[in-house]
Amino acid sequence: MTKQKNPCWSFFTSVYLTITLLALMVILSIVGTLIPQQDAARGFIQGISPGLASFLQTMQAFDVFHSVWFFLLMLLLCLNLIVCSLNRWPLTWKQFRGAPLAEEKGLFRGLTPERIFMCDEDVETMTGRMEVLLSRKYRKIIVNCEKEDAIIICGERGRYSRFAVYAVHVSLLLLIMGAFTGAFWGWEGYVNIGEGETADAIDLKGAEGTKKLPFTIRCDKFLVAFHENGAPKTFRSDLTFLQDGKTLFQGPLLMNHTISLEGVRVYQASYGSSPDGRASLAFSRGGGEEKIIKVGPGESFALPEKNGTVQIARIEEDLMKMGPAVKIIVHSGEGDVSCWVFQHIDKIREMSPGVTEQIPMFNPALFKPYIFVLKGIEERHYTGLQISSDPGAPLVAAAAVFMMMGLMGTFFASHRRIWIKIERAGEKTKISVAARTNKHRVVLDREVRQLTERIKISLEAGST
Amino acid sequence: MTNTMLLSWATFLYFGAFVFYLFRLVFRKEFWGQGAFYTVIGGLGAHTLSMLLRWKESYALGFGHAPLSNFYESLIFFAWALILLYVIVEWRIKDRSLGVFVLPAAFLLLAFASLTPSISNRIQALVPALQSNWLTSHVVACFLGYAAFTVAFAIGIMYFLRNIPLFGFIPEGETLNELLYQHAVLGFVFLTLGIMTGSVWAHYAWGSYWSWDPKETWSLITWLIYAVMLHARYVRGWKGDRMAVLGVNYLPGLHSYLQS
Repeated sequence: MTKQKNPCWSFFTSVYLTITLLALMVILSIVGTLIPQQDAARGFIQGISPGLASFLQTMQAFDVFHSVWFFLLMLLLCLNLIVCSLNRWPLTWKQFRGAPLAEEKGLFRGLTPERIFMCDEDVETMTGRMEVLLSRKYRKIIVNCEKEDAIIICGERGRYSRFAVYAVHVSLLLLIMGAFTGAFWGWEGYVNIGEGETADAIDLKGAEGTKKLPFTIRCDKFLVAFHENGAPKTFRSDLTFLQDGKTLFQGPLLMNHTISLEGVRVYQASYGSSPDGRASLAFSRGGGEEKIIKVGPGESFALPEKNGTVQIARIEEDLMKMGPAVKIIVHSGEGDVSCWVFQHIDKIREMSPGVTEQIPMFNPALFKPYIFVLKGIEERHYTGLQISSDPGAPLVAAAAVFMMMGLMGTFFASHRRIWIKIERAGEKTKISVAARTNKHRVVLDREVRQLTERIKISLEAGST
Repeated sequence: MTNTMLLSWATFLYFGAFVFYLFRLVFRKEFWGQGAFYTVIGGLGAHTLSMLLRWKESYALGFGHAPLSNFYESLIFFAWALILLYVIVEWRIKDRSLGVFVLPAAFLLLAFASLTPSISNRIQALVPALQSNWLTSHVVACFLGYAAFTVAFAIGIMYFLRNIPLFGFIPEGETLNELLYQHAVLGFVFLTLGIMTGSVWAHYAWGSYWSWDPKETWSLITWLIYAVMLHARYVRGWKGDRMAVLGVNYLPGLHSYLQS
């Protein structure tokens, strides 16, 4: 009892505190959706006066969900939940464990007529019959032999539902714990790995430096497939995870199908093509027999008649929106000649006739008598992986399970108890039905109605 | 496109049912009420069949996904869940007065989905991020929740109108209170489930179970408001007007959905 008098304790037991805290969280969350947060805030800050901006900055309004305010609310809510639950616990435990089936005071007072029956059989017979009826739907039948020739039998259902609200509260504590665990010990970063390449470190989110992974990832292949309408259908990376030269795991990574390894989770986040692919270049002497050669950037090759060497200066996937192109420099005795070789040269000529004459740089036949043709650039994909670790996630998952169980128990179950008193009343035997529940009266009333219907039928059958 | 034709039938039948419920009030004959109920059942049948056909058609097109993948399909499912819930309620409480308030909502949802030019009714292929059973469960749970909140909303409106003589058919306040509470609870549980399954999806698709984007935040706000209401009811026995206001608050969550 002394605990209740402590003002601090009673402050935290108050449901008004809960309501206030939840309401404050609502307000803070609304602020968090109205004011752009984190990275999105930059543009917003430029549009408002510097004074207001610095005020909002000080109030941590640009990162509400990681602010001191939010943290404090969470902390107070946790304290509130814990104190409130501890405060209620002894009573709940008493109701759960104590002698819940004993007759309560005034239980049989003021019963409606449909809950009272009179019959000719003796008390003992009726007790047996009532027990059978009651045990159809209710557990734990207790028979209390009372004085004054009266017997009370009791049944109950849903005793465990008394703990449901605690399950909800525990789930919220787990949830908040999980969120904090994730915020303090979790990390998240990105890495791009070209096909055939490996990576063992990632760039952490928010420019917080790099992090070494407990394994090396090799991208064996990246594949993107499209639907007929052009929308992407599948992103797939074939990855190999290596540790100390040994293969830990090998398999495909798809969106919505992550790979989890050593407490680290790998996501398919993005993809792209790297510009350092190899070009397939064809050349001929004045339109004669074509030769195809595969070259990478910076490489060179000799022309067959030994009157020059060709160097690949640049390889572009899409030069000035005219498609793939390669810049070549031909070194020869007559000096250097450089030009762009386009893959879609025919189309470019069609679109803008005479372009190769106007811009000699675009003329693939600039170094006579050779004509160069770009057959294509080998696409070299890279996969963009998001890699993160959240040690709080299992706690959050456990919280979800507890919360669902708790909510079901709180809203859809109740602790219902039914007492049937069988006593001698003059020449007859009187049967009275009383019931109590901790919530959902409607459900209890329906069940009592069903029971009294059965008793009625049973009595009518018995009397004939 | 037989699925859209069946859906037009459902829309038409729901409108018919609404008219019959109105007739029931005007002529005070249970005959119209019964007719309305069977019309609703017919509409629900056509509606269900339309969704199943659409599902089948998506397989025929080679996409193969449940008809819950875009805004159009979500609205259709929303209306379906609303009607299903209404049928269960009418059957359980044996009172038809709710029909006048719920049927127009379903009818308008379907009409809005079919007639708004910016809402495409094509069966679309799914991009990789949306190819997830968790997402399907998320949509189902959320819209079942919204359906329950919509019924609660209708009951809330009935509560405010019950003392006006014109609306003498509305059941007494106590019954409405209980019904409102039950639907708010049902919506709350489904909303919770919806947020959870959405989080699981985000965990597998986006690398984080919660990232405070506006849609997530608004769902949390809705959840918190209901949590406040349920606690208030528990300690203070809040009922009547204040609980009826509860029905209105399902709007923020829905609003944030429409923004997408």
